[in-house]
Amino acid sequence: MITARYGIGKRKWYNTNMPIKVLPTDVASKIAAGEVVERPASVVKELLDNSLDAGATNIAVEVQGGGVRLIRVVDNGVGIPPEEVDIAFERFATSKVETTDDLESISSLGFRGEALPSIAAVAEVTMVTRSKGELGGTFLNIKDSAVVEKAKRGCPLGTTVTVRNLFRSFPARLKFLKSTATENGHISQIVTQYSLAFPEVRFVLIVDGRTTFRSPGKDSLREALGVVYGAENAKSLLAVEAGDGNEDPLLPHITGFVSPPSFTRATRGYMSFFVNRRWVQNRMLPYALEEAYRGLLVTGRHPVAVINIALPPQDVDVNVHPAKSEVRFRHERDVFTAVQMAVRDTLVAQAPIPTLETLYQSQPAPAPSTGPLITSDAGAQATSAMSPVATPPPVAPAVGLLPILRVVGQVASTYIIAEGPDGMYLIDQHAAHERVLFERIRDQRQRRAVEVQGMLQPVPVELTVRQQELLEMHGEALAEYGFDIEHFGERTCLVRSVPAMLRGQNVAQSLTELLDFVGEGAKSDWREGIAVSLACHSAVLAGQVLSHDEMQDLIRQLERTSNPKHCPHGRPTMIHLSAAQLEKGFGRR
Amino acid sequence: MKVSCSQEDLSKGLAVVGRAVATRAVLPITNNVLLATEGSQLKLAATNLEIATSCWIAANVEKEGTLTVPARLLTDFVNSLPSGQIEMTLPARSKSLELKCARYDARISGLDAADFPAIPTIEDGIKVTVKPDALRLAINQVVFAAASEESRPVLTGVYTDFDGDQLTFAAADGFRLAVHTMSLDAAIKEKMAVIIPARSLNELGRLLGDQEEPLEVTVNSQRSQVLFKMSGVEMVSQLIQGTFPNYDQLIPQSYSTRAVIKLSDFLVATRSASIFARDGSGIVRLQIMPKDGSGKIDISARAEEIGDNLGEIDATVEGEEAKIAFNSKYLLDVLQVITEKEVALETTSSSSPGLIRPVGNDKYLHVVMPMFVQW
Repeated sequence: MITARYGIGKRKWYNTNMPIKVLPTDVASKIAAGEVVERPASVVKELLDNSLDAGATNIAVEVQGGGVRLIRVVDNGVGIPPEEVDIAFERFATSKVETTDDLESISSLGFRGEALPSIAAVAEVTMVTRSKGELGGTFLNIKDSAVVEKAKRGCPLGTTVTVRNLFRSFPARLKFLKSTATENGHISQIVTQYSLAFPEVRFVLIVDGRTTFRSPGKDSLREALGVVYGAENAKSLLAVEAGDGNEDPLLPHITGFVSPPSFTRATRGYMSFFVNRRWVQNRMLPYALEEAYRGLLVTGRHPVAVINIALPPQDVDVNVHPAKSEVRFRHERDVFTAVQMAVRDTLVAQAPIPTLETLYQSQPAPAPSTGPLITSDAGAQATSAMSPVATPPPVAPAVGLLPILRVVGQVASTYIIAEGPDGMYLIDQHAAHERVLFERIRDQRQRRAVEVQGMLQPVPVELTVRQQELLEMHGEALAEYGFDIEHFGERTCLVRSVPAMLRGQNVAQSLTELLDFVGEGAKSDWREGIAVSLACHSAVLAGQVLSHDEMQDLIRQLERTSNPKHCPHGRPTMIHLSAAQLEKGFGRR
Repeated sequence: MKVSCSQEDLSKGLAVVGRAVATRAVLPITNNVLLATEGSQLKLAATNLEIATSCWIAANVEKEGTLTVPARLLTDFVNSLPSGQIEMTLPARSKSLELKCARYDARISGLDAADFPAIPTIEDGIKVTVKPDALRLAINQVVFAAASEESRPVLTGVYTDFDGDQLTFAAADGFRLAVHTMSLDAAIKEKMAVIIPARSLNELGRLLGDQEEPLEVTVNSQRSQVLFKMSGVEMVSQLIQGTFPNYDQLIPQSYSTRAVIKLSDFLVATRSASIFARDGSGIVRLQIMPKDGSGKIDISARAEEIGDNLGEIDATVEGEEAKIAFNSKYLLDVLQVITEKEVALETTSSSSPGLIRPVGNDKYLHVVMPMFVQW
């Protein structure tokens, strides 16, 4: 019998004959500590929270042996007065919260009063601290949660906490730690993320005696980003600006930086979210961000972003987990929308046309020795970083507007060469036409005025089982686009009318490919997928020779679209070779 | 080979066969033109494997011979020469054709004529004789309705039906159908239908341009090729194999509104509407309004955020008021090939096919599917 087998199986794991009793304090505190201190990086995080809550402007983090041998955090914060030092290591001791009401609106990073005692439960901790007005500092040595030494000691203003031999008395946890390099990676991730949340604080990270990270501490997020992601990359990031400052203070307020669609990474690991300056993990936020990029990024590429969300403390619950990296929002939908809208607005307004340089950069890991042209480009880039002329202040162009373009010719029957006020533009004729058609069919559907061409004779289309299912599921959406499709025996359908756009195309092929396209992956918006696929099938192909008038007409139509710089799949429609780049390339400058 | 001919004749002959020269050839020799002496004539031939065109020009043959040379090179060179006699010599065991005209000399490397694809010869089969003008009109009125997209190969061809003394051409691309019937001077005994590629008929229409004598059309007994024999020019085309859809059922048998319109009015109004239709999908809206035995048609188009237009033309309308929208290109395509002064437009509803036919001529009809629009 199954239940019996379960019973026997269970008994293998623990002895039910043990009586129930209250755990001894040391066991209980170690279990609690396990929740807070999961790995060395958690210690660093807790100590950084304390330092920042103490108003530090300079924080040095030193780690050795992946943080297991040593973690030392030195800050110049307000310090702890001598009479409070002892109690700081008591469980649930905190200066940050007094009543339960305070929990409703937490504005400090720490509040649970668990950090120091938790750390002290799993490691040897020493602390030197001096608060303002004290002549000398206090030294405290704690082993196994007990103060073993307390003395007066001279020290600068602020607090230094040193954590040694982490998890030595906790071999189970030690066993599950990853390699030193991995743990160092986690620590460095924490410090860099904090440097983005607190650009005004100067963070230094010393790993095994080597300074690996130093944030500028100049209260400029862009400069902080420059250190984390590289100066050139940081320069290309687009500022997510707050509105005019008049909006409702109760609504989420979004600031930060996001990457232009030309600058992407292959993982989601480059999106940082801060809620009231607390670095948080939340499933919904990256989703909101990527939604804002919809139609701008190629599948499998992810943006780089730092998003600060400011909202009233009572609207966010950080007390979900002792580590405090998870948060819950009272009005999750509002936060989602705010993030998405703010980022989308930024992208639409500011996204620059990719230049040849950014295209080279976004290639994954270019070989160190590329062709001579690219090398000279890279050189030009380095000089351009210094020359004030080449780095114009970011001007936000009017939404959607393209520069006035004059058609020069066509390359490889695929790209239109056009001249604009600042150099040369190469326009992908297929991508550009796709954008035009996509917006046309989308608008037609929204106005319920899709242009439909009837078939004189219905076209029979053979479908796979999967395509048939998709057709049944989404027949209504297809009808909105002008498809009149009728079942005709098993796995065959008759198409009686098609969107006028598809006239002259292979109807059967277009329909089956459309079903395949919208069927792959989980499309959140089927209707948009149909529009994308229709535009793709109807657009002029690469390799098609266009007359001068056709090219001029295409550009004119592209100008009228709301997002002329990207095709609906997210690829760029054009790249820009500026007059300055041309001059440099030819050695005129 | 040693042969001479006039520059004009050679230039004209090369132009005739030039269109049959393959452009992006899998078989490189099909980029060449075949030169061969035949009696007192010089034969020029080219093929792209779908069609083969041969042309004979008067020549003074001193020594027989044959060779193929790059068509483009020879044509361009001959066209650049002054008028006069051109002497072409192919020395024995050589592949290099020597040309001499006035004080110009050239040598063109060629390829062996034995490697050139055989130009099909059609001796037996079903033969009819047609007048070039009548055939040209039929081609004009039908070929444009064939499909340009190749998903259904039979639709890229023109259905050609030989039945007694009637020769019928029909083409359809899924949105429209054009049917032209012509009478033959002599009836044939056997009933037969083949599908001729629209491209071949287009090319034939071009070749018919300067023909005055009746031409012979012969379908071989395997029904795989058709020969058009004109004076001094022959064209052979492969036929498309397959079954052409039964188009009779696509022709509406009745109507609820019939408008008789002056063709020139209809054309002008459609053209001006097509300018506004250009930005969208080319939608031209027709509103047919009867009024005491006569009536009018409003032809309009609009482009979102750009503008709109409306043209009003007189028509004799019988039946009820009707609204129907067409693609302007489809409408212009058919109106431009009708030669009569008046046309009739017959409709039953705004979502069923419209029928256009010249008034006083039941040899041509055109069916076009409307576009479904918001009125």
